[in-house]
Amino acid sequence: MSDEGPQRQCRACNHFRNDAKYLETVFKGLTSLSSGYGSVRSDDGVCLRHDRYLSARSSCADFLPVTSHPIAQKL
Amino acid sequence: MANVEIHGGRVEALPLRWRELWLKEDWWAIWLGLGIVLIAYIFFANGSSIRWLAVTPAKWSNFAELQSHFATNYVRYIAQFVAWLAVFTIALTALGHKAREFIPSFIVLYLLSVVIFALGQWDKANTHNLEPPLVALAFGLLLSNVVGLPRWLDAGFRVEFYIKTGIVLLGATLPFTLIIWAGPVAILQASIVSIVTFLVIYWVGVKLGLDRRLAATLGAGGAVCGVSAAIAISGAVGGKKEDAPIAITVVIIWAIAMIFVLPFAALYLHLPAGVGGAWIGTSEFADAAGFAAAQTYGNIASSGAVAGSSDQAVFAYTLIKVVGRDVWIGIWAFVLAIIATTQWERTETGRKPEAAEIWWRFPKFVFGFLVASLIITLATTGYSLAEFNKSVVPTLVAPIKDLRTWAFIFCFLSIGLTTRFRELAGAGRKPFLAFSAGAVVNVIIGFILSAIVFAAHWETIAR
Repeated sequence: MSDEGPQRQCRACNHFRNDAKYLETVFKGLTSLSSGYGSVRSDDGVCLRHDRYLSARSSCADFLPVTSHPIAQKL
Repeated sequence: MANVEIHGGRVEALPLRWRELWLKEDWWAIWLGLGIVLIAYIFFANGSSIRWLAVTPAKWSNFAELQSHFATNYVRYIAQFVAWLAVFTIALTALGHKAREFIPSFIVLYLLSVVIFALGQWDKANTHNLEPPLVALAFGLLLSNVVGLPRWLDAGFRVEFYIKTGIVLLGATLPFTLIIWAGPVAILQASIVSIVTFLVIYWVGVKLGLDRRLAATLGAGGAVCGVSAAIAISGAVGGKKEDAPIAITVVIIWAIAMIFVLPFAALYLHLPAGVGGAWIGTSEFADAAGFAAAQTYGNIASSGAVAGSSDQAVFAYTLIKVVGRDVWIGIWAFVLAIIATTQWERTETGRKPEAAEIWWRFPKFVFGFLVASLIITLATTGYSLAEFNKSVVPTLVAPIKDLRTWAFIFCFLSIGLTTRFRELAGAGRKPFLAFSAGAVVNVIIGFILSAIVFAAHWETIAR
């Protein structure tokens, strides 16, 4: 367990996917009785590095900055 | 992708904070629901009503009557369709959906809803058990699992958004004083059942050898608010990627089965409407599924088969499920996050649990439900009961209730239309057994509390 600042949390990691539409695609059946857009989900997402579903405030040693995000590559 | 934005030439991943107000469907359900309530009140305060727009199929006994109704009122239906389409399109495009995908899908949904609603108004519908929620669900399941629907149609089948909007509208028809009066019992009953159900699922799951995080995810799914609770807890405890889909599969199977079982079990036991609604609120797993069951039992009650009214079943259900169970999801998440990080096996990733999680995960649409109730209660305080029934109900409350019914039908149909059993993740025997153990205990304790311990309370609710 670590207590990294916002710049090194999962939300800023390139391994992290928390887009609601993405989650509705990978979590089969999610839209039947729930949704990826609800408040209860907060901003949790999937870590593709560790195959875990995590809070965006999590962190780990494998952090890869979101600056390697495709949007950043176009800048 | 992570939610990134470009600021000053830099890529930043931002927390939700205030952006939640337009990026989460809970808030859009509030804006829509309260918007409708306020517009309805403005019309009412100026001596008018939104009655014209809140058209619903009338009771009919032969096809000619039905035909005549639609021939007379088709302009009202078109206007209502346009109104729903406009507000839903605005909300869903703000959430990131594409209008060109949503609009054709909603056209299909609205047309099917008109058919389901009209069928439910047939005077022989009760005789043939053609309850609109069940017909909508069964028809939707048939279409999606047997006939098959193109994937793009899913864009308009937003189960959770419709049910949340409907719940906010429901608040306007439920007196705030009733929430204050019945709320504590609802919270007490729901808490007893939630804690016991969670512990049973968790204990059986761990005994069967399941990972503690999966056992907790399943436990929350059974104890709090179904799929939504399962994904909230999976995220809070840092579950494996496959945990949430397993819980989703098990919850869907149980929740859909219970929609058909609970109302008829309650009917078989001759439970009064309020008692049946409370039992359903305690023993169903997801809000949308529970409303389908509670609305069905309300319809059964209004046909005279059991004592009580339709409102009693729906109100009792809402108090138990929404006020008694849903609102505590943040606390469950916070407590389980502490246990996961301090007691369970460490994982590669982690974080310090924060009390703010209680707020982050709070199902915000509940605020809309409470505020809607408060608005209408305060706005009608000066009326005597006779005046209320004569002038307030038909011009203010009834039209809101009719629009709520539409939102619920959109939801019930969408449940069936989005549930494709063959596409669900394989759950495995052990998770299913663990969840089933909790479900059985939940149904038994829910019955004892609703029909024996607090029977007098629920039987007389909103009488």
